[in-house]
Order: sequence, then structure tokens, then C-alpha cells
Amino acid sequence: MVGGFSILLWVGAFLCWIAYGIQYSSDKSASLNNVYLGSVLVLVVILTGIFAYYQEAKSTNIMSSFNKMIPQQALVIRDSEKKTIPAEQLVVGDIVEVKGGDQIPADIRVLSSQGCRVDNSSLTGESEPQPRSSEFTHENPLETKNICFYSTTCLEGTVTGMVINTGDRTIIGHIASLASGVGNEKTPIAIEIEHFVHIVAGVAVSIGILFFIIAVSLKYRVLDSVIFLIGIIVANVPEGLLATVTVTLSLTAKRMAKKNCLVKSPEAVETLGSTSIICSDKTGTLTQNRMTVAHLWFDNQIFVADTSEDHSNQVFDQSSSTWASLSKIITLCNRAEFKPGQENVPIMKKAVIGDASETALLKFSEVILGDVMEIRKRNRKVVEIPFNSTNKFQLSIHETDDPHDKRFLMVMKGAPERILEKCSTIMINGEEHPLDKSTAKAFHTAYMELGGLGERVLGFCHLYLPADEFPETYSFDIDAMNFPTSNLCFVGLLSMIDPPRSTVPDAVTKCRSAGIKVIMVTGDHPITAKAIAKSVGIISANSETVEDIAHRLNIPVEQVHQRDAKAAVVTGMELKDMSSEQLDEILANYQEIVFARTSPQQKLIIVEGCQRQDAVVAVTGDGVNDSPALKKADIGIAMGIAGSDAAKNAADMVLLDDNFASIVTGVEEGRLIFDNLKKTIAYTLTKNIAELCPFLIYIIAGLPLPIGTITILFIDLGTDIIPSIALAYEKAESDIMNRKPRHKKKDRLVNEQLAVYSYLHIGLMQALGAFLLYFTVYAQEGFLPHTLINLRVEWESDNVNDLEDHYGQEWTRYQREYLEWTGYTAFFVGILVQQIADLIIRKTRRNSIFQQGLFRNKVIWVGIASQIVIGLILSYGLGSITALNFTMLRAQYWFVAVPHAILIWVYDEVRKLFIRLYPGSWWDKNMYY
Amino acid sequence: MRRQLRSRRTPSFPYSYRYRLDDQDELNQNYLADEEEEAEEEARVMVVPKSEEEEEENEKEEEEEEKKEEEEGQGQPTGNAWWQKLQIMSEYLWDPERRMFLARTGLILLIYFFFYASLAAVITLCMYTLFLTISPYIPTFTERVKPPGVMIRPFAHSLNFNFNVSEPETWQHYVISLNGFLQGYNDSLQEEMNVDCPPGQYFIQDGDEDEDKKACQFKRSFLKNCSGLEDPTFGYSTGQPCILLKMNRIVGFRPELGDPVKVSCKVQRGDENDIRSIRYYPESASFDLRYYPYYGKLTHVNYTSPLVAMHFTDVVKNQAVPVQCQLKGKGIINDVINDRFVGRVIFTLNIET
Repeated sequence: MVGGFSILLWVGAFLCWIAYGIQYSSDKSASLNNVYLGSVLVLVVILTGIFAYYQEAKSTNIMSSFNKMIPQQALVIRDSEKKTIPAEQLVVGDIVEVKGGDQIPADIRVLSSQGCRVDNSSLTGESEPQPRSSEFTHENPLETKNICFYSTTCLEGTVTGMVINTGDRTIIGHIASLASGVGNEKTPIAIEIEHFVHIVAGVAVSIGILFFIIAVSLKYRVLDSVIFLIGIIVANVPEGLLATVTVTLSLTAKRMAKKNCLVKSPEAVETLGSTSIICSDKTGTLTQNRMTVAHLWFDNQIFVADTSEDHSNQVFDQSSSTWASLSKIITLCNRAEFKPGQENVPIMKKAVIGDASETALLKFSEVILGDVMEIRKRNRKVVEIPFNSTNKFQLSIHETDDPHDKRFLMVMKGAPERILEKCSTIMINGEEHPLDKSTAKAFHTAYMELGGLGERVLGFCHLYLPADEFPETYSFDIDAMNFPTSNLCFVGLLSMIDPPRSTVPDAVTKCRSAGIKVIMVTGDHPITAKAIAKSVGIISANSETVEDIAHRLNIPVEQVHQRDAKAAVVTGMELKDMSSEQLDEILANYQEIVFARTSPQQKLIIVEGCQRQDAVVAVTGDGVNDSPALKKADIGIAMGIAGSDAAKNAADMVLLDDNFASIVTGVEEGRLIFDNLKKTIAYTLTKNIAELCPFLIYIIAGLPLPIGTITILFIDLGTDIIPSIALAYEKAESDIMNRKPRHKKKDRLVNEQLAVYSYLHIGLMQALGAFLLYFTVYAQEGFLPHTLINLRVEWESDNVNDLEDHYGQEWTRYQREYLEWTGYTAFFVGILVQQIADLIIRKTRRNSIFQQGLFRNKVIWVGIASQIVIGLILSYGLGSITALNFTMLRAQYWFVAVPHAILIWVYDEVRKLFIRLYPGSWWDKNMYY
Repeated sequence: MRRQLRSRRTPSFPYSYRYRLDDQDELNQNYLADEEEEAEEEARVMVVPKSEEEEEENEKEEEEEEKKEEEEGQGQPTGNAWWQKLQIMSEYLWDPERRMFLARTGLILLIYFFFYASLAAVITLCMYTLFLTISPYIPTFTERVKPPGVMIRPFAHSLNFNFNVSEPETWQHYVISLNGFLQGYNDSLQEEMNVDCPPGQYFIQDGDEDEDKKACQFKRSFLKNCSGLEDPTFGYSTGQPCILLKMNRIVGFRPELGDPVKVSCKVQRGDENDIRSIRYYPESASFDLRYYPYYGKLTHVNYTSPLVAMHFTDVVKNQAVPVQCQLKGKGIINDVINDRFVGRVIFTLNIET
């Protein structure tokens, strides 16, 4: 309610009241018009203020979501006894015990642990459970294994540790304070609107003051000059525009919500449109966030598995009998099971009990082989050794499903090198061959290749236990290991990855063509990150990193020419040693960048680095660790499904389906709304001249006032509102995803061309059309244009009740006033009719209206209808209320300005034609807004 | 151990980060400053294509904005900005590279000249068409000027007649005003210019609308005691003031046939007996039908509006008496709330002795 236009309107309102005060002190019967006007202005300010507040009201209390994560109770050893106390009461030095399923109550240094694994995903982005033990393994507290972090969850095992940090001093507390410490910066659209307000307010104030001075020097009374000043300000300020912009943005926000982009503040819609860099998290955003079988290696060959969301299209060769053996191992050596009661759920969507890689294997085999549980039932499990981190393999022994075969089948999977150690033969084309050096080399090549793709590789082997040694009644003992675990037969490798979402590569390509740089920022391992980056196109197929070139040319990395590489993979460790200049250099020089192993603070530094390049930065993320970067970014995008509350709170936008492709839709909407806002503003600014000219002519030529201040408000806040919102529904003129993102300092919302064309071309034509209507009304009533000049003083004098017109007729003051209101109404209708033409021409900026389709945007026609209906109601329905200054207008006057409206249309078509014919010419540069 | 952890964290954790934030803030400020400058630049460039007359305006606008900026400056290098702006301005006026005055805008000015010239042509054409459709003799519509308004003479910016009978300077200006007003009604002039048409019926003159029309005589002598012929002070010297009432002219207006518009005055508020007698001249207190209809200024050149004189022969002295004179007749409305001059006129008489 303060600042910008509101200030101007407040000033106007106070001037009105002061003017009335002065009038009243000299003449008790002074008319109340100025009081009404002042009140209306204040009302306008307050209403638009309330409206804006209502639209903007949002809660961004990040800390509250951190509070939710505080564990309620902690088991602490104090005074040699175990006590349960509220976690807030923990102090540094306390010894706490945590067991599986609990949240860690503070940052603790592990003293002892039994098979403890923690879920750090919300903090570091690592999706796998992390083992915790008392060994110190790394300099970095985030990477060492002997620290558990506050608010993470202990998944299994137990841990005893000493509290080293509590509350805000914990790692997560730091992140929280980082997130809340990052200031809320102005959105690009807010800056644009401010810029626009500056321009319009500047024009209003300077013209106002200029004409105030002119009026005073023309010997008008100061009081009158003040009233002129108010009129000029009111005419110049587009009162309804800010509300319109807010509505337009919220409408787009709603439209985007339907496309799974939930936007928290409407302004963010446009921010997304001007985004030039997207810093995307990997897990969950670019990838499906579930392990999936990607490659198989058997028979000395690598096979590719389908990693798309439904796995439907498995094309690798399944005829080999090696595959039969491998599939049996995959099926049997697996503890994961589908949860019951999901018969109708597609396989890939079924919930599974078991860890990520077992789940992947279960689903993989279910898709290919059919009912896994049935197969397992036929091959009854006799005994099994589950996977653990010391032996790094999993083993089970089964009866076979062949009733004649009384042998037991032992199946085993685990880390490939461990599995290979236990094998002496290898199965090729269903036959066992001794494992010699060449096959071992082939294995290593395949292993390195798959590992190099960033995939997690598992080895599989089996052994049919001889029936004579192990009869049916043999009792296996896991602890005694009374069965062979060496000289097994190696069957194959299988590698898994969290595969990219199938829509992502396409979306990344679209971003590329839209001039948006996509940077991957992840906490994950560089190799995995690079592999995913390559598969989604963040690093395109033909570009290489410095390391790649070095590897290809077989030269040291230092000798590679930096400029040869288009892509770069930067790890958190490298980033730590970089100055901000070096980071800037990387960001500016490489087109394709992947940041791996980054900490939350580094994400923030990267975002800042991008912002230093004058880029509008979008950041996607889901974890608590992302929240500072989300907050810092020009637009933070959180994941709706996988996202933590902290991330969602810090973000400006939430992707309900966690799908990167939705961002592209968002960008498109954002760009469209920017274009359409230009149209809306151009439409709104145009009539300002038509509203302003009457005052200028009134002051200089002394005509009876052509349009009243109240009438102007009825245009600004009445007839023009719906049409200007309707422009938001306009379709794009060309493929907006094929042009570069706008430069936030060069491509302004309101630029010189827009203002000049609206004010000095269309605006002026509109003013002429409206004046024609005004003159017509006066002339037909007896006051021909030339009799009007310098008539003002007599016209407005209450004492002259027999003013002669051109025909010698004599008019009382009230009759003249009524005629003046008729003039207001006529001028109003003139502007209204031409605003319809203005609305139509604003549908496009470059294309012809006929290319765009006159009837494609139905809302425009609703807008036009609303204009006409409101106009008719004001003139004919409310014509009897004197305070509104509207009168019944003869029907034919509605058509006087129509030729002008058509002229406006034709002129604009010609403008667009020349722009299309001569791109880059003087005309294009000056007439395209 | 805590210290260890913290020291390790230092390179990547908030302590170093805070510096960055500060830097960032400064950057932002500079950035915003740029923004403002740009805004001004644009605002200025935006008005460039206006005609040269308005250039002064530009400069003023600029000065104002610069002043504004100075206030908001917050210790920014405003001097520098000033200098830059001066340079841009001087480059705009004098382009040193092409050695041309106003070179950049020459073409623009030319194009705008043609654009506005054609706009002017369009509006001229429109106005011309407008004049073609409008008759110079008869107004197209008269509904806004009907029903007729009423005005009185003498009129000196006020409807309060305050005068002291014994002090001629308090009423002298009324007499002068009336005398001046009645010059056009002098009998000699009326007889010379106008025709004596039969009373009691419209003076209808058929023929083309551009033909000159004759006007009926309204002689000053019709006003008898209020004509100023016998009593050159119009009764003001005796405390019996004459006030002339005139109905506003409306082209084509005709009162009801056989029922001329009458004038009647009475005390508007207060004791009805404050006015004990009024004499009307002509005695019928009406506007004769022969003065209607009116054919418009251009053809009905010598038309003189008929008058009714009210001679307030016996009014209470030394107190303000509000008087309302109304027209009565068919087609006359005299009770419009908003318009106190349609069909009626209200004035106060305050005659001191």
C-alpha cells in the first residue's frame, strides 16, 4: 500500500481533500466532488493493497519444518544408569544409545556399533544405507564413518556414541541456519514490474509537474492547477494493472499446478521462464530413484537390459542356456519378496520388502521369468547365508525343481572379484570351461566397463553339490560351513544403476534448444554422476572432459588444452580448493558441467557462481541438504514425492511428480507469461495517452473537460480488467522453446519500443478517435469545436446560466454540466471501442492476427463482451446516478470511433508485416516490442 | 574433538560462507544501482522521439529524476553517474563519430513527422466529415438544452440584490446594467429592424433553413414602468426595483398553443406577505407566442428574446426576502432538483432605506 503507484494515488487523494478544504473555507457550498474523488482513490489503493496482500500471503517458516524432525526421546547413560530424556536436554559429552528405527538425537561420534547402518539421504543425498563404525576413515566429517548425524535415521543395528554437537551447532542445524540466512531476493518479474512502475511514475510525475507549472503560468488558480495535477496523475497511473499482473500470474500458476508444477508464489512462474541455468540434483529428479538392472554379462558378451520405467522391452538374447542358469541364480539367491495383496499392481510399481538391489533383481526376474515366488517354491530353499559386509556375498542352497535330480543347487552372488576368487570354472554357452587367464581377462574388462558406467556390479556363480556327498538328508550348518564355497562355476555378471527417467533426455534436449544450461549437482560418486549425465544428455554424446581427452590421447591431464573439452566433471574436493574466480571460469567456459560429491555449502557456492554470471538459476533438490541452495536460487524446485519438508519449504516450486520434464513445461509457461504480460502492459499503457490528452487539451485550449477522473477510474478498474487478463490466455506466437532465455538486464518487460509504440502511436490514435467522438457529441448538441476553445471559464461558472452556443441557444449551468457528462461518457465509449481494437492487435507482437487465429483465444472474446456489457451498464443502467458522471448516450455514438478502431488494426497489421518482411531492419528494431 | 571437527569444517562451512554472503549483498546493491540507472536511461530515450518542443520537458524530467537519485544515492558514486549521463546526453546532441547534430534522431524525427502528418490528415478528414453532417442553422439535437432555463437582469455575478435606496452608489450599477441590456430593445431599433407580427400565434416562417428569418418586435416600451423611459432608475431610487426575466433561447422551442408561458413570483421561504404586490409588464406576465419558434442565430439575426419585467412595488424593507419566479405552462418544468435555473430562478431582495 506504499511505494510505486500507491504513493502517487495517496498524494492525489490528499491533494483532493486539501483542495476541498480550501474550497470549503472560501465557499461553504463547494461541491463534494473532490471529496468523493479522494475517497475513491484511497479506496482503490486500499483494495489493490489488500488484493496484493491476499495473493502474496505465504508462510515461509523453514525452521518449523526442522523442528518437526527433532526426535522426541533419547536413551542416555548418565550417572552410570540408562535414562530416557527428551532429546533437547542432551549436552555435549553425553553417551547415547541408538537402535535400529530411531532417529539420531544429536551429532554423535560412534564409540561402538553392531551392524549399524544409517540413512543419510536427507543430508548428503546418498540413497544407500551407510554403515557406521568407530573407525575414523576420512578427514571430512560428512564422509567419515564414525559420526552419525542429528535427524538421520538408524536403519538397523545399534550404536553407542558420544554427543559432539547439539541443536543449532549440529550439521543439520548449520544447514537450517544457512537456509534461513539466505536472503529472499527479488524475483526477476518483481524487478521488471518495479522498473515499469519507475517509468510510468516518472512520466506521470514529470508531465504532472510540467503542466502544473504551465497551468500556473497560464494564470490558472493554484487550486485548479492542483486539481489538474490530480487528473494527470490518475490518468497516467494504470490503477488496475498490478492487480491484473497478479491475477495473470496466479492463473498461470494454477495452470501449471495441473501439469504437476505447484508454484508457491505466482511470481516464481515467470522466474522459471527466464531461467538460464538449471542446477539439477541427480537422484530422484533425473533418475527414477530405484536400482534397476541395466547390463548383463555372460557368454563373454555384454547385454543391455531395458531400464525404462516399465521394463517391458527386454531384447537381449535369452536363448543361451547360460542365461537359464543365471536367471535361476538371480531368482533363488534373493531374499526380497513382494508385499502381499498387490495382484493387480503392475510389477514395477509393486512394493517390495528388501533392499534396493535385491528389489531390482526380484523385479527384473519377475518381468522376464514370470511368477518368481512359484519358482522359489519349486526350488525349496534349504539354507542361506544373508549378505554382510565382511564376507560380501550371499549364498543359499536349494533343492532342484527336477524331481529326478537329487542334487542340491548352491547359488551365490556378491562382489564380482570375491565371487571370481571362489570359482574355478566359468560357464560359456551352457558348458563349463576352466577359468583360465584369457577368460579372467575378459571378466575384468567387462567388470571395468560396467563399473565405468557408474553401475553397481554383482557376480553370480553356482554349484551343483554332488548327490553322493550331499544326500537329500544332509543337514547343512551355516556356522560350520560344512559345504564347499570354492571351485564354483562362474555364471555371469549383472550390473545395476538408478536409471534416468525416460522423459529426462528429451527434456534436457529441450532445455538445450531453449538455451538453458543444465548442470548436474549431486552428492553421488563422480563416475555414476558422469554416466547418468551422459545417458540423459547433460554431457552430450560427442563431448569430452579433460580427463577423457587425456585418456584418449594417452597424455597427462595437465597437457590437455582446456578449451578442447566441452564438458567438465568437478568433484567437491576440487571445488573446495577453488577460488570463486576459478569457479566462474569453469562455469563460463564449459557448456556441460557435472558437480559430484558436493556438500550443501558447495551447492550454495555453485548457485552463487551461476548468479554471478548474470544467470537466472533454477535449482532442483529433495533433501535437507539442498534447502540452502533451493533458497538461494532464483527459483528453487523441490520434489513433491521424494522431497523433504525442509526442501519443499525452502523451494518456490514443487514438482508433484518429481519429473524433470515438468520443469520444461514450467519454463514454457513462464516464457509465455512473460510475452503475454508484455502484451497486457502494452494494452494497458495505450489508453493512458487517451486519458491524459483530455487534461492537457483542457489546460491549454480551455475546452470543457472531455473526460472526468472518476470515468478514467471506471476504464482502468472496470472495462479494461477482464480483457487484460484475457491476454494471458494467448498462445505463443512461435516456438518459444527455441530461443535463448531472456537476459535479465537487457530484455526488459517494458522496453523503450513498447512504451513508445503504446504511448506515441496507438495511444495517440486512440486519443484522436475519442476526441472525434467528443467533438461529435458537442457539435450535435450545439457547441461546434471552434466555439469550445477557451470556453472553460464561462462554461464552468455557476453564475452563467444563459451561455450561448453556436446556434444562439442558451444553456444553464446544470444543462452544460449534464452535457459535459455526456461528453465524458462519449469519450469513455470512444476509448472503449478503440480498446477493443487495441486488445485484438495486442494478441500478437510479430505475427498477423490472422496467422494467430482471431478466434483461437476464446477468453479474449469474453473480455470484449465484458467491456461492452460494462460500458452499456454504466451508460444506460447507472446513467441516472449523478455521482458517477455517466449519462445515457445515443446509440449511434457507439459507432463513431469504429473507423478509428479499424485504422488502429490496419496500422498494426502493417507494422507487423514490415517486421516480418524486414527482420533486423530499422523498423524491426524500433517497432518490435 | 569438537575443535578438531570444527577446524576441519572451516573451509567448507558457514564461517567462510558468511563472507560470501556479505560480498553478495554488496554486489546486489551495485546491481540495483545499475538497474535504476538503466531505468532512467530508458525513460529518457523513450521520450526522445517526441518533437523538439518537448525536449525541454525531457531535460526537466531528467533533472528531477537525478535529484531523486541523489537523495536515494546512499553514498554511491553519484558524481560518476552524473558524468556518464552528461556524456550520453552530449553524444545524443552531437555525435562526434559522424559529426552530425541530432544525427541519431534525424531519421526518427522525419518518420514521426510523416506519421503525425498523416494522423493529422486523418483527423482533419474526420472533422470535415463531421462538419458535413452538421447543419450550421439548426442543431442536430436539442434534448440537453430543454426544458428552457431562466435568467434575470440586472445580473452582476450574484443573485442577491442588496442596496440602500438613499445611497445611489449601491444600486447605480443595476441601472447601468439594465440600460445597457435594453439598448437592443429600443423602440426605434426594433421598428427599424424587426416586424410587427400578430400576437397570440406562432410566427412561423417556412422556407429553406438557410433563408434569413424575420424577427418580431419586442419594444422597450412594452415594459412600461420598467422600461427605464419614464423612470430612468427602474424604480431602484424609490425602493421598488424592476427585475427583468428572460427565458433561455432554444431553437425550435414552441410553448403550447393558446397557452403562453406565464411568469409568477412569490416569496420562496418565509412570510408570504413580505411581498405585498408585484406588477408584471407586459401585464399578461407571459411570453407571447409570436416570439416562437426561434430559428437559430445564423438566420434569425435580429431575434430579441421576449422579456417579462417584475416590478416589486411593495416589498418589506430592511430584510432579505427570498423570491422565486417560476415559469408556468405546458412543456415547462420548474422543479428540477439539481438545476435551479430550469423554469425558475431564485434571488433575494434586501432593500434598505
